[in-house]
Amino acid sequence: MPEIRVTPLGAGQDVGRSCILVSIAGKNVMLDCGMHMGFSDDRRFPDFSYITRSGRLTDFLDCVIISHFHLDHCGALPYFSEMVGYDGPIYMTQPTQAICPILLEDYRKIAVDKKGEARFFTSQMIKDCMKKVVAVHLHQTVQVDDELEIKAYYAGHVLGAAMFQIKVGSESVVYTGDYNMTPDRHLGAAWIDKCRPNLLITESTYATTIRDSKRCRERDFLKKVHETVERGGKVLIPVFALGRAQELCILLETFWERVGLKAPIYFSTGLTEKANHYYKLFIPWTNQKIRKTFVQRNMFEFKHIKAFDRAFADSPGPMVVFATPGMLHAGQSLQIFRKWAGNEKNMVIMPGYCVQGTVGHKILSGQRKLEMEGRQVLEVKMQVEYMSFSAHADAKGIMQLVGQAEPENVLLVHGEAKKMEFLKQKIEQEFRVSCYMPANGETVTLPTSPSIPVGISLGLLKREMAQGLLPDAKKPRLLHGTLIMKDSNFRLVSSEQALKELGLAEHQLRFTCRVHLHDTRKEQETAVRVYSHLKSVLKDHCVQHLPDGSVTVESILIQAAAHSEDPGTKVLLVSWTYQDEELGSYLTSLLKKGLPQAS
Amino acid sequence: MDPECSRLLPALCAVLADPRQPVADDTCLEKLLDWFTAVTEAGSSLLLLQENPCLVELLFHVLKSQDLSSRILSFSLRLAGIFAAQENCFQYLQQGELLPMLFGEVGPLGGTSWTAPTVRSGWIQGLHTLAQHPSALRFLAACGAVDTIFSLQGDPSLFVASAAGQLLVHILDLAMRGPAEGHRSPQACDWPACAQKIVGHIEDSLCSTAIPQVTQALSVLTTVFGHCHGLWTQGLWVRLSPFVARLLEKDPVPASHSLVDFLLSVARSAPSSDRGLWETLAQTLSHLSPTQAGPLAFGILKLQDCPQALRTQAFGILLQPLACVLEAAAQAPGALGLLGAAAGDSVAVGTLLSSRPACVGLLCCALAHLGLLQPLPQRPSPWPQVPLLGAAVTILRLCSGSAAPTSDVGGRLCAILVGCGRVQRAALDFLGALSQGTGPQELVTQVFSVLLEYLVSPESSSMVLKKAFQATLGWLLRSPKTPGCCDLDPHTQLFLRELLPVLQKRLCSPCWEVRDSGLEFLTQMTRHWGGQAGFRQALLASEVPELTKQLLRDPESYVRASAVTATGQLSSWGLCATPASPERPGAQQSLLAELLHILSTDSEGFPRRAVMQVFTEWLRDGHTDVAEDAERFVAGVLQAVSRDLDWEVRAQGLELALVFLEQLLGQRGSHCPCAVAPPEAAPPGLLAHALQVLGRVQLFEFALRALFDCDRPVAQKSCDLLLFLRAKAAPCGSPREAGDGPNVASVGATLQKWQAGEQGQPLGLLEPAAVVALLRSIDLEGLRDTLAESSDHVEKSPQSLLQDMLAAVGALGESGADCY
Repeated sequence: MPEIRVTPLGAGQDVGRSCILVSIAGKNVMLDCGMHMGFSDDRRFPDFSYITRSGRLTDFLDCVIISHFHLDHCGALPYFSEMVGYDGPIYMTQPTQAICPILLEDYRKIAVDKKGEARFFTSQMIKDCMKKVVAVHLHQTVQVDDELEIKAYYAGHVLGAAMFQIKVGSESVVYTGDYNMTPDRHLGAAWIDKCRPNLLITESTYATTIRDSKRCRERDFLKKVHETVERGGKVLIPVFALGRAQELCILLETFWERVGLKAPIYFSTGLTEKANHYYKLFIPWTNQKIRKTFVQRNMFEFKHIKAFDRAFADSPGPMVVFATPGMLHAGQSLQIFRKWAGNEKNMVIMPGYCVQGTVGHKILSGQRKLEMEGRQVLEVKMQVEYMSFSAHADAKGIMQLVGQAEPENVLLVHGEAKKMEFLKQKIEQEFRVSCYMPANGETVTLPTSPSIPVGISLGLLKREMAQGLLPDAKKPRLLHGTLIMKDSNFRLVSSEQALKELGLAEHQLRFTCRVHLHDTRKEQETAVRVYSHLKSVLKDHCVQHLPDGSVTVESILIQAAAHSEDPGTKVLLVSWTYQDEELGSYLTSLLKKGLPQAS
Repeated sequence: MDPECSRLLPALCAVLADPRQPVADDTCLEKLLDWFTAVTEAGSSLLLLQENPCLVELLFHVLKSQDLSSRILSFSLRLAGIFAAQENCFQYLQQGELLPMLFGEVGPLGGTSWTAPTVRSGWIQGLHTLAQHPSALRFLAACGAVDTIFSLQGDPSLFVASAAGQLLVHILDLAMRGPAEGHRSPQACDWPACAQKIVGHIEDSLCSTAIPQVTQALSVLTTVFGHCHGLWTQGLWVRLSPFVARLLEKDPVPASHSLVDFLLSVARSAPSSDRGLWETLAQTLSHLSPTQAGPLAFGILKLQDCPQALRTQAFGILLQPLACVLEAAAQAPGALGLLGAAAGDSVAVGTLLSSRPACVGLLCCALAHLGLLQPLPQRPSPWPQVPLLGAAVTILRLCSGSAAPTSDVGGRLCAILVGCGRVQRAALDFLGALSQGTGPQELVTQVFSVLLEYLVSPESSSMVLKKAFQATLGWLLRSPKTPGCCDLDPHTQLFLRELLPVLQKRLCSPCWEVRDSGLEFLTQMTRHWGGQAGFRQALLASEVPELTKQLLRDPESYVRASAVTATGQLSSWGLCATPASPERPGAQQSLLAELLHILSTDSEGFPRRAVMQVFTEWLRDGHTDVAEDAERFVAGVLQAVSRDLDWEVRAQGLELALVFLEQLLGQRGSHCPCAVAPPEAAPPGLLAHALQVLGRVQLFEFALRALFDCDRPVAQKSCDLLLFLRAKAAPCGSPREAGDGPNVASVGATLQKWQAGEQGQPLGLLEPAAVVALLRSIDLEGLRDTLAESSDHVEKSPQSLLQDMLAAVGALGESGADCY
């Protein structure tokens, strides 16, 4: 029995590191290869030993697919390909391929050099890994091998994020990665066609949430920044190099322009330039508005946002600074935070989640006295705000996507168990499909119906058409013919054609059924009674009484004979060919009920 | 335990026991367990529990609570295991009947929470940690845990099932450690009841008709023979070998992959005199299909001690697919060479021709195994280098479609393999591995020809090209030298003339991966052959150096970085540009200026880092352009680097500064400045001159600024450099002696500002005496110790973890579910 098997090594009932193994029609695919930022040992990576047990990795896995550039989806990739030893193809979109190494490099520098972590991948490994990548375009069907094909769909979320359809023969799985069903300032909404996959694997970060209006959140954000700047304070926004940062930049840039603010906005470490470069390069991946206005004005060429220099942090007066990294765990953002934390006029806005073990996590949980190196204590007097600008689909969006794709089954990943449970029920009720939510390490097995493509001869089709019934994709039709298996191909042809092609003579096979009737009259009289009865019942059929005493209904022949042992019983011999199987069976059952009493 | 942690612990336990309080982050509980493991490894668990009664209270509370999250329950089971690993603490917990309640039938095992895989996992991990002493063994037997573990082997969660198997091995090892010591192959009747039970279960599983059960048993046994080294394992093998024999009688052999792992695990641990084992291995090799037998054959050939006949059989299996290919494509008889014996195997041919996936799988596997075997000392001897080379070339030709096999099988193979990237990659890797050996000139010419074919082909993907470049490099570098001459042999020379135009073309590829692989190849080739006249001549006659220079302005930063490295290497050998002509005087000098320009202006870190590596190498090797005016060169580079935003570039600036220092003051005694033998002090005359030079190039200011860099490795490197300088310049005296003079005082004030993050103020020109005084005044050793700690050591401390978990209570909003 063919089946689809799914085993999350990460993202199974958690929001840690996505890594999902899918086995479909004998092909093994890894969906995402993420890293957990909360650990600084091997636990940050998915436990690949479960795959290496199956022999050589490159032989076992047919390909790896990366949905987008966030580290919880691609962070373990260089480790997997250069240290664990996977040497096969890796698929991702072009923007993801371009941006991935920047984020990996940033993280490597923090992990290896700043924290002194050993056993981490090197810059050369990141490059070598990226060389294994095969870039895919949206809606382009990529043939991984003779049987396995993949296709990318737009997912919103971040630049270059994609959902992937994985197809082997007639079996298919769609993996959404992270996606957003509402457009934002620089990206469009996720979209997929009605591909009716056997299984849809969807993220469920906001499984139970209907998110408040984005406009409200944006207004709130701008209000807070504006107020701080107005009172002469400084605003620090710790961000990761690319992603939400650009969304917030557009937001501030537009606001600054509209209100005519003069306070400087800075973006750290030359990233504005880099981001600009990539956003210009991948303009088709942004939303319609940006694409339309691009010729007149590139939204990513910011007038108000300038490159940051370390010396600016000490400058007097208000300013807004975007600095990396996003969790205040090292580097420039942490350095600026330390300088500005003591002043209550200042503000830090955290636009994303922070893992434990970072200063970001501490201040978000309300800690205001932070121990620093050498037992120094840093008192945080500046305002601390958390505003989620992560672009995930909410419960409504997830339901919308399920409705759009019309899958046979749904599997939830990248979410919390309790919330998943709620969404699972909702999906099952509304769409009447099975919904699964495996924990990490649990395997979901879905049986699929084998589907074998069969070619139909033109002659047979024409004959069907001649019967006046036009083919309708939605209504299955019964079609009689002869199935010929030749050279690994299946063809349905008319029996005449089959005989001709195979050089065979025709033999007719008739099925005969005996029906016992209680009738004391002679056989001829019984036959007449049968004829009259059938004539009255089967008005649309040609019923004949032949000179030899037998009765025919179309090709079906009915003869009455005496019973060898019981003279009060007559035996009706009903015989038909396979073409009239339906009518033959019907007549048999009709006659078994007996004949009406003669009036 | 830290008193502060002890103070915070009761509050944390209360939070953990409260089902209404969500735990901050799913990594926190893991980190908490790490910490408890460290604490109990360093001291007494019993004392810990007595001093912190809240811990036991937490465990009791967990048992009573109905609506506790499965994560906390799992955490508690693991925590109890950590404490009970010490026997006296185990007894202590037993007194309160806590352990049976946690791990016995009355505990989570019988409750609804058992449906959560995390709870089952916690239960197993808890028991695994706990099972360290005889009391634990008795406990496991009494609470019937072993039967539960048996059933968990078939758990739907891979993690739980795998952990259950490992726990069985652990228990078996613990049970057998005592009685087996000193006895050779102890009889089964002497084994403890617990071990008997486990082995009995394994035997039953091996007889099962359900393949998953056989797989579970075999994977447990694989771990047993891989990790347990008591003599009893030999007895175990004797006892189990009839079961293995029965498995081999089945067709197809069930769980073949696990069986192979198990047999190899036994073979690695068994003494070489075990004839029964070798017979079983030989039997297995002949029973398995070619695809299944490959890993076993490879494993056998890697064994240190193994009968020759078995090795021959195993090697034959690895060679079979290649022999079939050679035979199918043979143009002339006798091409098979040593592979001849392996040819004609109908099973291998059948697999190769059965389907494209089967063919690709078998060939890739054989190529990978043979490639891995090639460099090993225990590889079969004689090694059939020539036929293997022939096979690799043939496979590559079949894949490219350039082979024209006349046989039916050859034609079918060609149809299957043509354009197959996977086999191309595997065959190129294998061909590269074979470059460690030699071959007759005719065959080597064929190797070069097929490599060239791939390098030229527009069909070659970027990965195939990368591997083709790597294999070409391997074969080029092993080319024999012309006798009596240090130059390249004529064949290589000829190949180079054909290769360089191809490289030229690849350097212009629209695909950055290809341009980059081409540049990496060029760098390696130049590094090895820069001095060879033939290479120099061919290279200079081509446009490769010019193109490489052009790639310094490539849009892709990875390519720019590789171009920097390549031009640096070319320049080191005087190959960077066309020979000086009247129109282009000083071409070499312009490269230095161009690299300096990249260092100052490139928006990406990779090219700037590559420039710094080239510059450091140039300075170290005395590159002519640098040696002309090293002082000016170093001053220029340090000025550019000091403003760099990428700390790795700044760190490399310090590396360059150190090389310069060593050239001025003499080598370091050891890489570590704190080594037993400190560097000798420089003679006074030399020192005064050196300090003046350092002042002029502003190295001192650069290093001192770096000492307070916000990026730890920069500060660390600077600290090392200053320690070295101090050892050379001011070996005597203590910090207290210094600090006199107005110059030093003002510098000290500036440094304090720098340390506070205000780096605007310059240091100004320092007198040599002030430098010496300043070096003595800074506590460099103390700073080095501080910098040795990871930059987030405060945030990672247990105290910080406890504070974070407590602070997170009630502070969790939407952020709990957020990721990015």
